[in-house]
Formats: sequence, structure tokens, C-alpha cells
Amino acid sequence: MEEYPEELRTPPVGLISLVGCPELHQMISTHLHSEKPPVNTLALPDFSKISIMAKTPKDTGASGNTQPAGILKRDWLLKHRTKMPAVATALIPADHVSGDPAQWNQLCTHLDQLKAVISPRNIKLVVVVVQASSRDDFNEDRMIALRKRAEVDFKYIITFSLNVESDLKQSLNRLGILFAELINVYYRDEGHRIKTCIEKKTYNYVELCIRYCFKVAVYAEFRRDWVEALKFYEDSYHALREMIATSTRLPARQRLVEIKTLAEQLHFKISTLLLHGGKIIEAVLWFRQHCASYRKLIGAAEVNFLHWEWMSRQFLVFAELLETSSRTVPGFPSLISLAMDKSLTEWEFQPAYYYQLASHYLKEKRSCLDLSLSMLEASYEIDGSAESVMPSIYVGQFARLLEKSDGVISMQLLTDEEFIHYAVAEGKRFQDSFEIIALLKKAFDIYSSLKATRMASHCGFHMAKEYFYTGETSKAKESFESVVHLYRHEGWVTLLWEILGYLRECSRRDGSLKEFMEYSLEMAALPVSSNAGIHSFSHREFGPAGPPSFHQREVIHKEALGLVSRGPGFTSNGDGNNLHLAESSLHLEIDLVSPLRVALLASVAFHEQLVKPGIPTLITVSLMSQLPVAVEIDALEVQFNQSECNFTILNAQKSPSIATSVNQQGYCREEIVPSLALITNKWLRLTYDVKSDRSGKLECVSIIARIGSHFTICCRAESPASMGDVPLWKFEEHGESLPIKDPPLSLSGQKAIQVEEPDLLVDVNLAASGPALVGENFVVPVTIVSKGHAVDFGELKINLVDSRGGGLVSPREYESFSTESHHVELIGISEPDGDDKSQVGSGNIRKIQHSFGLVSVPYLDNGGSWSCRIEIKWHRPKPIMLFVSLGYSPCSDDANAQKIHVHKSLQIEGKTPIIVSHRTMLPFRCDPLLLSRIKLAAADSDRPAPLPLNEASILIVSAENCSEVPLRLISMSIEHDDASESSCTVCSANDDLVDSVGPALLMPGKEYRKVFSAVPIERSQKVKMGTVCLRWKRDSESHEQSYSSSPEILTRHRLPETDVELSPLVVCLECPPCAVLGDPFTYFVKIRNETELLQEIKFSLIDSYSFVSSGPHDDTTFVLPKSEHILSYKLVPLASGMQQLPRVVATAVRYSAGFEPSTSALTIFVFPSKPAFEMGKSENGSESVFLAAE
Amino acid sequence: MIVCVAVVGQQNNPLYIQSFTEADDALKLHHIVHCSLDVVDERVNNPKKSGPMLNETFLGLLYPTENYKVYGFLTNTKVKFILVTTDLDVRDADVRNFFRKFHAAYVDAVSNPFHVPGKKITSKTFAERVSNIVKSFGMGSTG
Repeated sequence: MEEYPEELRTPPVGLISLVGCPELHQMISTHLHSEKPPVNTLALPDFSKISIMAKTPKDTGASGNTQPAGILKRDWLLKHRTKMPAVATALIPADHVSGDPAQWNQLCTHLDQLKAVISPRNIKLVVVVVQASSRDDFNEDRMIALRKRAEVDFKYIITFSLNVESDLKQSLNRLGILFAELINVYYRDEGHRIKTCIEKKTYNYVELCIRYCFKVAVYAEFRRDWVEALKFYEDSYHALREMIATSTRLPARQRLVEIKTLAEQLHFKISTLLLHGGKIIEAVLWFRQHCASYRKLIGAAEVNFLHWEWMSRQFLVFAELLETSSRTVPGFPSLISLAMDKSLTEWEFQPAYYYQLASHYLKEKRSCLDLSLSMLEASYEIDGSAESVMPSIYVGQFARLLEKSDGVISMQLLTDEEFIHYAVAEGKRFQDSFEIIALLKKAFDIYSSLKATRMASHCGFHMAKEYFYTGETSKAKESFESVVHLYRHEGWVTLLWEILGYLRECSRRDGSLKEFMEYSLEMAALPVSSNAGIHSFSHREFGPAGPPSFHQREVIHKEALGLVSRGPGFTSNGDGNNLHLAESSLHLEIDLVSPLRVALLASVAFHEQLVKPGIPTLITVSLMSQLPVAVEIDALEVQFNQSECNFTILNAQKSPSIATSVNQQGYCREEIVPSLALITNKWLRLTYDVKSDRSGKLECVSIIARIGSHFTICCRAESPASMGDVPLWKFEEHGESLPIKDPPLSLSGQKAIQVEEPDLLVDVNLAASGPALVGENFVVPVTIVSKGHAVDFGELKINLVDSRGGGLVSPREYESFSTESHHVELIGISEPDGDDKSQVGSGNIRKIQHSFGLVSVPYLDNGGSWSCRIEIKWHRPKPIMLFVSLGYSPCSDDANAQKIHVHKSLQIEGKTPIIVSHRTMLPFRCDPLLLSRIKLAAADSDRPAPLPLNEASILIVSAENCSEVPLRLISMSIEHDDASESSCTVCSANDDLVDSVGPALLMPGKEYRKVFSAVPIERSQKVKMGTVCLRWKRDSESHEQSYSSSPEILTRHRLPETDVELSPLVVCLECPPCAVLGDPFTYFVKIRNETELLQEIKFSLIDSYSFVSSGPHDDTTFVLPKSEHILSYKLVPLASGMQQLPRVVATAVRYSAGFEPSTSALTIFVFPSKPAFEMGKSENGSESVFLAAE
Repeated sequence: MIVCVAVVGQQNNPLYIQSFTEADDALKLHHIVHCSLDVVDERVNNPKKSGPMLNETFLGLLYPTENYKVYGFLTNTKVKFILVTTDLDVRDADVRNFFRKFHAAYVDAVSNPFHVPGKKITSKTFAERVSNIVKSFGMGSTG
């Protein structure tokens, strides 16, 4: 796009000229330039310069009757943009207007001159009278005379006042508006004038039609009438297209050049207008049309490169236009989706597509140019005659400058032959490669950003090829390598072959033998067979490697291996090789992702998964290659992570020459096989035994194949179980075999084997059963049994570790190093009594810390044993790991001998044995009014209800066995924390079952309950009820032996503090525990007032059908302070069984609290007849029966 | 005239590619087929852009190059068929018809019990059938 002249690239801007008063020009032109739309200024300092606007004599001769020499003049557009103003402005100082007659006369002369110059061109005239100061007064007569002289309307004579800032601004604005109007008028008139010519068809030549249309379009552009401009550009373009077949004006070769040059300009204008108008779809369609109509017009064979250059430029320019407008036009991507149904595709909206094609055509141009050059150079030398050739005055034409004898320079049209010379000489000057690379680079970048990797790779590949042919090997290699992965990954073998061929040549040029070998081996192992249906590939297409074929693979294979087998120091300079094998050997690495896995694949499998140390196990090494020719390997080195297991397999046919070089590295196990030949697509399987003395993992790391004396390939060993498919070949239909003959092994075989620890000669036994219970001293018996070693200087280390991580001490309590702060604690290590004390030597070390213990072990003979007990106490439920490690010297003679360690560990769960819970209840048929309980009920809170002061409440404590072992409960009692300040008396309500019948057996999951009565005697917010002390032990029936002596364990559970509150009123119901049908009895409701106030009580009785009752029904009564009011009812039961007593509802008016006895409190059992037992004696017992019922 | 047809597997690997030109541009056609996979990806990943083509196996014109037009077809098993033609004026119906026949030939070829799915198609019968379909291309929309 940059090649185009400025006037073509930018939209035209209206032009005016200023004459006279040069001091004002700068100001006015700056103002006009900032207008919208801007206006350019042609400033002429005085009237002597006005001839620049004059019409040249030649112009006047132009008419529609003579054949024009060209279609469009080269400088026409420039002329109209820089020299041909739409408006001429005469700036006249005011004093000249009103000055003396001499000045007036001069003014008139100037105006006449100006008029004479501009009238043939229809340029509009504006007269500006510059009023330098307010003193300048106007002579009205002179102004009228001036108007007449200038022959303009009054509105085109304006005064321009300089003296006040605001006036100046106003004058400038007025001038701007006036110019904008006149510019519009001028270009419209001009356009109209030419349009009439077109309409009346006053021309005889199509050239003129094209020219006229072009001019109308340009004038429309001046007026910013884009629609008309587009229409006439298109007309012009179509007219030009028609000329192709008919034009005979120029010599044959040059005709097409002219038309195409002009078509290019017109197309550029049309595309620009379309794109700026946001009509991207139309622009793309237009471009497609443009290319379709001109692509076939190649022209003469000698200059066909011009056509391809032209084509390339079309694509380049359109790409650039598209790129700029895709940045500026909003909603560009959404337009693309619109275009899908107009048979346009995604890429046609991407500049990358056009850049790519531009590069393609430029390549075409280069090849044509090369052909033309060789043809021309073959016939005769290109002389210097091209030097004086230059573009002629018409667009798209070339002419020779001729200097005649009288110094006049004239132009002469070229003959076709001269033109060809000129074009070829010009073409030679440019380096197309750089241009091509730049275009491809742009396309590559855009495609990459669009994530179109294949398109980008294609561009990258062409870029690399371009570098390759320009000799920039390193850049070429870089580019080739950046794209080769994609083809490898997707398995496009032919494309990969081509690239690898180039890369191979690059490394040959670089002299890098290693890379050359790598690329050669990869190529040779590609899945290309001769009958793959690619016989149609030609040699020319495929670059240096030639077309892919089986034969070519063989050639490459042989060349590569032939190169390395020649030995060190060779230099192959013949046939362009500068490959060099240095002194040191050539070493190739093939890892798990290397593309060279096709060339050599090593699979290693142990036949077993576990092996004892020192016992030999079988290992199978399998090798496969896809190289076309069988490869004879001289030696194979199998390497393990335990280097002492390494061994070498030698080829018997070549072993004498190899053996020396291998043995230099020191002792190494060697195996000899008759032949080590790798045949295409066939596993070479070798099975040997391996023995390891070290425990741990034995893994085969790599297999090194040695070919010739200086070439090695190191191949990572792969497990058959996890071996991936061979790249590329996995898509081929070819016979596949298993790396190992044994099918299960080839599916699950591993390249690593676990070597077990040697058998232990001293056994440490930890015997502990079941979980430990919090609070008890848990005993873990440890037994050390010698099975082959004598134990001397034995030391037993004991460690407790939290099995969930974290310490055994809670962080908060870490500082206070008290016993209680440890969740789990090592209490002691005791030796069983009765053992041989004598064996415990004087060197008995014993250290015990909270989680660590150390104890010495006496000397043990082979076969002897020793045991001890570890006691551990849990304070919190927590699982721990118990690590016990025995360190000893195997023989007593040498105390410095290396110690042997035996480790054992045991996880022990710590569990809470008993969960203690409690609840409180109010006494039966006694209801103290607790004010806070009413509030609590409203708030629906979980807080425990308060207890009434001085009233006996019932406290039920239950203990649940949540361990998995039965426990025996010895006693349960409540102790006061601080006996002196007892605020609540708690005593056992009944005889303790445990106390009376001995320890209670508590099976897992069962619960034991005990009832206490609690009487708070101090009114307080927090009353301590005491601590539940629970004595228990493991039930020893089943483990008579081990736990018979197990001590009692005390578990303490502190009861929470409770609120105590004085109840102002207490309502008690009193009635016998049972009644007899028909037997009257008395039923009392006692209302006790505990306050110092008179209490008003409303009560009412709700009758029951089961009883006949007598007593007060509905009434209000007053209870005196600290006294009791009794409501008594006489009841006669009418029905037997469980019956509901009449319900008394009482309401304390002061507290607006109602009393309503619960259903259970009102229930009484009525015997049908008098039972035969003494009521009075068992009153206490029946009370507890009712308690239990609750 | 059809110059190249190709079957491309799920991993964008070529399963079958055959060119039908006399000229030396077989390799170029391989490149064109490979590049067209970008458009297939684009259309498959952004089905919105091609609204009416939802659930449509025929992908339409993929892209025009300087001398060729490339059409695509996507089977339900994500196997792609690519067609490269030199005809600049091709009816969509003809292309659809071609792909339909090509698809049938492909299904028959991979139904062969000796064919391993995912591997290249080496069947001679398939090649013959394809070349017949190619020859009959554009000779009317039936048959």
C-alpha cells in the first residue's frame, strides 16, 4: 500500500488559494486545516504568482475527438489536490479600497488579472477586505465599485477584522463556512459538467469515458459523497475491463500493463471506500471478482512475471486494507457469521489468507522472472538502455527521455522489446525472498493468534523453505523445527518426510553429524512403503529428500550408517558434505518421547515382581527397529540403577574388536550371542538372569547399542506394561508382535523389580489386643526372640507417635510439662518378675520420657528370648503408633561391629470407655414457680432449666459403656469439689445397686443410671453440683490371666454448674398413690407463698367423669406472705383403672403465670376393690416406682 | 474435477489420501488437506457461527485457495472427509451427493472385520470404489 502515491491513499481534501496579505496566510490556513472537514490552503504571497492556477495551453486542446495518448494523467489527482483550488481568495487591505486612486487602480488591475486566470477553470472568487484597525472606515461607493469590478455577489465580499480577538474569530468562522459552501459548489459544478459529457456520450474513445468517470468520482470524493464516488469508480472500472480486448493504442505488451495499473488504482479506491463504509462482505466479494477477472490475463510470456507481481500486490494491498479496517470497524467478527451463507468462508475475512496468497504469487513471479532472465541472458546481454526509461505522464505507461539537439526534452514511447528489457532489468533489482518471508511471517503471526496451527505451520514451513533457498541455514532450521512437531504428532508422513528432508540437508550444511544422523534415522524409519499410492509425487516437489519411497528410505539408511562406520577423523567433503566425526564417539539418546523411538525401541521386563537378594531372576531385553535394512549391532550394554548388575551382550561375529574397548572400563559381566541383528519390525528378544545383593528397587535404566566402534545409541528402557504405541506406525496396517513371547508378561511386565529385605535373625513381637481405654494403664508385652543371632549390647527404643500427625501434647498445654498435659503417655517399662534377674547386666540403661523410652536388653544367646511390658496411659482418646526398635550387635566379641536394627510398629487406638451424662427433674406433683423458666420457654433456648432454691430436685446420672469390652462398675458417687463451701447438697436417693450387690457388669453399649436428689441451699447463678466419680475396671472374666490384677480406675466427670432460683410460689398436689373404687379420698392442692407479698391466686377445677368431687370450683383467693393455702377436694372414684383426677388450674395474678399439672401427675390408679396390702408401709417404695415411671 | 479426496481420523491423522491429478502437485494437495483441518476444527468448535448447520455432517466449503476449492464432511465418529476440486462452480447438491457415496464406501471399508479401526485404509476395493465415485462426480445428482 505504501507504494501508492499519497494522493491516492488518502481521501481528497478541498483546496482554496489565498492571494495577497501574506502575513495572514499562516493563521487562515491553520484555521481551515482544523475545520471539519479540513480544507487545504494554497498560499500565494502576491498576485504575480497566480499564473500557477492558469490553464495550460495543452489542456485547452483536449476534446473528445482526438485519440488520447493515455487513459489518465499521472499528475491529474496531485494537481487537483495541490495546485487547482476550488476557491481563489483575494485578500485586500482595507486602506487600498478606500485609499488614493493609484492604489485603487492597482487593486483593480490585480482583480482583473486574477479573474482572467480563474475564469477558464470556473474557480470561485472571494474577496476579503482586511480591516487592520477600527479606524479604517468604509467608503460605500468604493465597496460597490469593488463588487462590480470583481463581478461577485455581495456575500462573497467579506470584511476581515483583525483588531479585536472576538471579531477575528468570528471572521475566521465566517470565512470557513463560506469556503466550505463554495468548495462544495465548485466540485459539484465540475462533477456535473463532466457528468453531462458522460451522459451525452460526447466522447469517441473509451479511454475518455474511463477518465471522465474517474474524475467525477474524485470530485464526488472531494465533496465526501462516497456513494456517488463508489458508483463512478465502479463505472470506470467496468469501462476499463471492456477495453482489454479492444485497445490497440499501445504496443501489445504494454497495453495490458496500462490497463492493469489503472485497474489496480480503481480497485484500490473501491475497496477503500467499501471497507471504510463497513461493507466488508461487499469488499471481499468485490476483491474476489477483481481477481477472477484479471487472473487469467497473464500477458506475454516474456513479461508474465509482471502479472504475478501485480497479482501478489493486489493480495498484499487488500490484506493491509483488511487488517486496518478489522481494527477500526466495530463488530467485525459478527459480520463474518453473516457472510457464511454467501458462500464466503472464514479465512476470506482474515488478512492472513491474503498475505499467504500474496506470498504465493510473489513466488510465482520469482520463478517466472528467473525464467525470463535466463532466456534474455541467453540471447544477449541486457544493456544500459533501460536507464533513461521512466514512467510517462500517463498512468501505467513508460517512456524514454529523449534530449533533442536544442535541449528540449521530450518523451518517446517504448517499443515492446525495449519495454521487456526495462521490465526485466527493474525486476532484477528486487530481492523477492525477503518480501516473501515478510508476507509469510505476517500470515504466520495472524494464523497463530487465531489458533489455526496447521495454517500457521504451513506458512512457517514455506518461510523455512525460503530461508533454506536463500542460504540462511540456521533460520531455516529454526523454522522447520518449529513446525515439524505438528506433522509428527498428527502423523502426516509425506509432509513430515519433506520437512525432515530439509532438516537433514540443513544439518548437512551445518556439519552437525549428530543431527544429521537423527534426522536420517527418523526418515529411514518413517512408515513409507513403495505401494502407498503416492507414485504421483514428483521429484521437483519434494525438495532435497526426494519423494518418499521405500527405496529412498534404504538409501538414507545406508548413507547414514555408512557415514558412522567409517570411523573417526573422516571428513566427507565430497558432494556437498561437510560432516565430520570428531575424535570422540557419536552418541545418540532416545528417550520416551523421542521421535527416534521408531528407529530403536527397547522394552525390558523382569519375569518376576519380587526377588530375594542374591537369588538370580530372569530379565528379557527386547529391541525393535523400523529401519528398512537389518542393522547389525556389535554390542548391547544393559544398565541398571544398581551398577554392579550391568552387563554387556556381545555379538560373537564382532566380539574380538569390541571386547577391548568394553573391558577398559573395568570388570563387567559379558554375555556372547551368535548374532545381534535387528530386522525390520521384528523383536530381538534376549533373556538373561540378573542377581542383586542389595535390597530395594532394581530398575533397568537404559540399553546402549554400539554399532561400529564409535557410534552408540542410548535407548531408555521401557516397561512393556506402560509402553506407548510407536508414533506414526500406530496408524499403519502392519503385523504387530509382542515384545516378549509370554503374552501376560508382555502386557504386565515391568522394567523394575523389588528386591526384598534379607530375612531377620532376631524377632521382636508386640502382643497387644484390642483398643486401649482412656484412664487405664495399657500394657503391651514385648518379646524378643533370637532366631540365629546372639543379641549383645541390645537396646530397645520405644517411641509413641500420633498416627494422625501432630504431637501427643496439645499445643496449648505444651509449656506446662505436667503429666496431665499429655494425651498419651508412656508410663513405664517393666520386666516380668520371676525372670532371670542375673541376665540384666549392670549396664541396664533405662530412660523414660513421655513419648520416648529406652531400655537395655540383656545378652541373649541364639535361641533365647526376653520380654518386657510397656505401659501406656491415655488421657484423651487418640490413635497412636507405637514404634519399637531393637538395636544390637550380632556377636559379642566385637562391640564396634555394625549394629543391626529391627523395627516393629503397632497402631493402638485409644478409646473413651464411659460417657457420663446427667439430667435434672423437678419433684413429682410439686411445682415451684420459676420465673426464668417461663422466659426460657418463650426464648426456646437450650440452656438447662434452673433449679428451685431449697427444694429437692431429682438428678439422674447415667454412665454408658462406649468401648468394645465389658466393664465392671464398682461405684458411682458425687463428690463436692470443695466441701467447705457446699452450695448444694446432693445425696443418693436410693440404695446404690453397686454398693449393695457388688460391681455391676456393664456390657458394651449398655447404660447404668443412678438417681440423686439435689437441694440447692444457696441462691446463685452458678451452683456447682459436684463431680461424678466412677470407679470401674475391665471385666476380667475372659482375661483372667492378664487382667486379674487390673486395678480400679477412677473416671471423674464434673457436672456442669446450674442456675438456682428462688421460686415465689410452690404448688403441690397431694393425693394417695392409689384409690379404691367407691372409696372416698381427699385430694389437696397446696399453694405456698414464699414471698413477703400477698399473692392473688385464681383457680378453677375441671371436673373428671371418673370422680365425684366436692370442693371449691372457680374462685379467687389470697395467700398470705410466707404461708400456705390449701384447696381440699373430696373425691369418690367412679371407675377403676388408670384415671385422670379432676384438673385444678391456678393462676398467679402478679406473675400472670398459670399452673397446670401434667397428665402424669394427675393420673391415679383405682383398684376395683381394696387390695390386700398395707398402704402405709410401702409409701416410700411406691414413690420410687413412680420416679422410675417417669 | 476432483483432484484429491482424503479421510482424516479422529486424531487428525490421515487414514486415506488420494490425489487424481496428472500435474506435480500431489504434495501441495496434502498440504491443502492438512490446512483445511483448521477450518473443520473452527466449525466444529464454534457451531454458533454456522447456525443452520447444527447437527449437519456436511461442513460446506471450507476455504478457497488460488486454484482449488476445499469441501468438508464430518461423520458422527469424528472422522473427516475432505474433497479438493478445481471446479470453481460447484453445486452444493453435487458435493453432498459425493460425500454421501463416499461415506457409504468408507463405512463398508471399515466394516471389514480385518480392518483395525483407527488405522490407515489400505483396501484396494475401497480405492477402486472411490475412484469410481470421483469419476462420476458432477454427472447428475442421482446415482
